[in-house]
Amino acid sequence: MSLIAENIRVSYGKREALRGVGLTALPGEVTAIVGPNGSGKSTLLGAITASLAYQGRVSLNGRCVERMKPWELAAIRAVLPQASRLAFPFTVIEVVRIGLQSGTAGDRPEVPMQALARVGLAHYAHRTFQELSGGEAQRAMLARVLAQVWAPVEDGQPRWLLLDEPVSSLDIAHQLQVMEIARDFARAGGGVLAVMHDLNLTALYADRVAVLADGERLAFGTPAEVLTDETLSRAYGCALRVSATPPSGVPFILPHAASA
Amino acid sequence: MAALSDIETIPHHRETRANTLHWALAGALVLSCFASLQVGATDVTLSTMLAKLIHGETLSQIERVVLFDIRLPRLAMGVLVGAALAVSGAAMQGLFRNPLADPGIVGVGAGAGLGAILAIVLGTLLPAWLIDLTGNQLTPFAAFLGGWGSTILLYRVSTRHGRTSVATMLLAGIALGALAGALSGILVYIADDTQLRDLTFWGLGSLAGASWAKVFAAGPMILLAIGVSLTLGRGLNGLALGEATAAHIGIDVQRMKSTGILAVAGATGAAVAVSGGIGFIGIVVPHLLRLASGPDHRTLLLNAALLGATLLILADMIARVVIAPAELPIGIVTAVLGAPVFLWILLKRRGLVEL
Ligand SMILES: Nc1ncnc2c1ncn2[C@@H]1O[C@H](COP(=O)(O)OP(=O)(O)OP(=O)(O)O)[C@@H](O)[C@H]1O
Ligand SMILES: [Mg+2]
Repeated sequence: MSLIAENIRVSYGKREALRGVGLTALPGEVTAIVGPNGSGKSTLLGAITASLAYQGRVSLNGRCVERMKPWELAAIRAVLPQASRLAFPFTVIEVVRIGLQSGTAGDRPEVPMQALARVGLAHYAHRTFQELSGGEAQRAMLARVLAQVWAPVEDGQPRWLLLDEPVSSLDIAHQLQVMEIARDFARAGGGVLAVMHDLNLTALYADRVAVLADGERLAFGTPAEVLTDETLSRAYGCALRVSATPPSGVPFILPHAASA
Repeated sequence: MAALSDIETIPHHRETRANTLHWALAGALVLSCFASLQVGATDVTLSTMLAKLIHGETLSQIERVVLFDIRLPRLAMGVLVGAALAVSGAAMQGLFRNPLADPGIVGVGAGAGLGAILAIVLGTLLPAWLIDLTGNQLTPFAAFLGGWGSTILLYRVSTRHGRTSVATMLLAGIALGALAGALSGILVYIADDTQLRDLTFWGLGSLAGASWAKVFAAGPMILLAIGVSLTLGRGLNGLALGEATAAHIGIDVQRMKSTGILAVAGATGAAVAVSGGIGFIGIVVPHLLRLASGPDHRTLLLNAALLGATLLILADMIARVVIAPAELPIGIVTAVLGAPVFLWILLKRRGLVEL
């Protein structure tokens, strides 16, 4: 009952974007993927969600993803893309409902509104989606994703949130709110795999972290194991100093302490 | 908790309106059908005929011919063609994720036209068994193939990674339309006199040649294509979020796209085969409906069929009465009414073109 990616390879034309990357995400945990721009984070998520052609193996709750039908997958995992464009003037609530149509919460009409309330957008339900600001749109999309897998565990099986940079355009309060949502989902038995840029939020909220650089996995482990001076400096190609907050020892990184 | 329950009831607002609209539009369609049977070049009217029937009198020979052989087939064809054009417009816009995609504008109609002309001019050269086999379906089927080929070509050219470039789509449509037009022009030269008369009639975009034969030729394909389109609502809604997201919410995107393209080609092809190029219904109708009740394809497609049929019947009435006893090609009426609406849409929503 976990999400396992093994030896994933992806090429765009001749360029290899991923060269044999693997990771295991467990239900009950928030697993983060970090790494510099272009290191292959979105590509890895794309392979895991079967949005692009890849070599390797991905299994979800013990089943090979390639052999599952789109609607079977949709019932156990929801995907938040890094960016999304909406083609027609749907309202926010309509967008959330589109995600719900195939989910197993589809017969519970109150779920979309609850999902919007969860991301703090209940009063925006009837706005046209295309009129939302960047951060609002991102949260509305998150609400759609949440509604699709509303119950973190169903029929004894964990469900999964796969998020590509869920907080990239959010203010600090909403960053914390969204990370709380992800953690709550995991604590309730679901699984979360999130691509992250903010190392401090990662240290605070992730249970396990994979560091990618240049299409390869540099490190994988708990934040304390992985977020070290050496690993991060190698991954990002600039000297980074990791400190720890007393008393819990959560690592944090101050840009002030970095040197190129 | 009054506030919360308020919030929870409002979400169904647009949906309810779209469902009410089904009934309103169905009513409007029925009314316009009666109106269309009422008026025409002769002063035979439906109301006098109905009155006669109620009083147990029989209809005169002229009245029967006017009603059953002239007005009814023309009405049936108007309903079928109007619904086909509007539904294929709405479906194509959903497939291309683009409110400007319309079979008439982007060259699919021209491609279907080329197929139809090929069938009219070269159909007689086919082996006899094939002619027997296809019967009256030859022209609609050829138009369907022409429309299908051009839709696929257009999609290939203008869509990369699930995103359609509007500029590429429109330019490719112009090229496609020009090519199909040129090839059709060549065929016109080698057509004989009877074929030429068929072609002229057809090229004007008119319901004037309506007959039961044509209704039965195009009807099955149009009804099938509309029926298939109506099942695409959920898939097209998903596609509005992008191809990848549509797949993530459980839609078999490839299958939906190929089904959708077949349905668009079928409806456009059959409509073009019997009525020529009637423009603007496919773009104006879905747009008006999106303004009225939102873009949800589950209701939009059915409403488009109803409104498309209604508007085409009304346009046909205008075409028949403004210069009676002569009549205008209906393509002129839809262009005169539709083109300004189309320009108005562009003026109001320039953003559409910059997608
Ligand atoms: N569609 C594509 N065609 C060609 N190359 C691509 C494509 N998408 C990504 N790449 C390349 O693959 C590599 C990995 O890209 P990816 O999007 O996975 O990076 P990322 O880690 O998500 O970066 P970011 O932090 O900027 O989101 C990059 O070098 C990128 O240029
Ligand atoms: Mg990325």
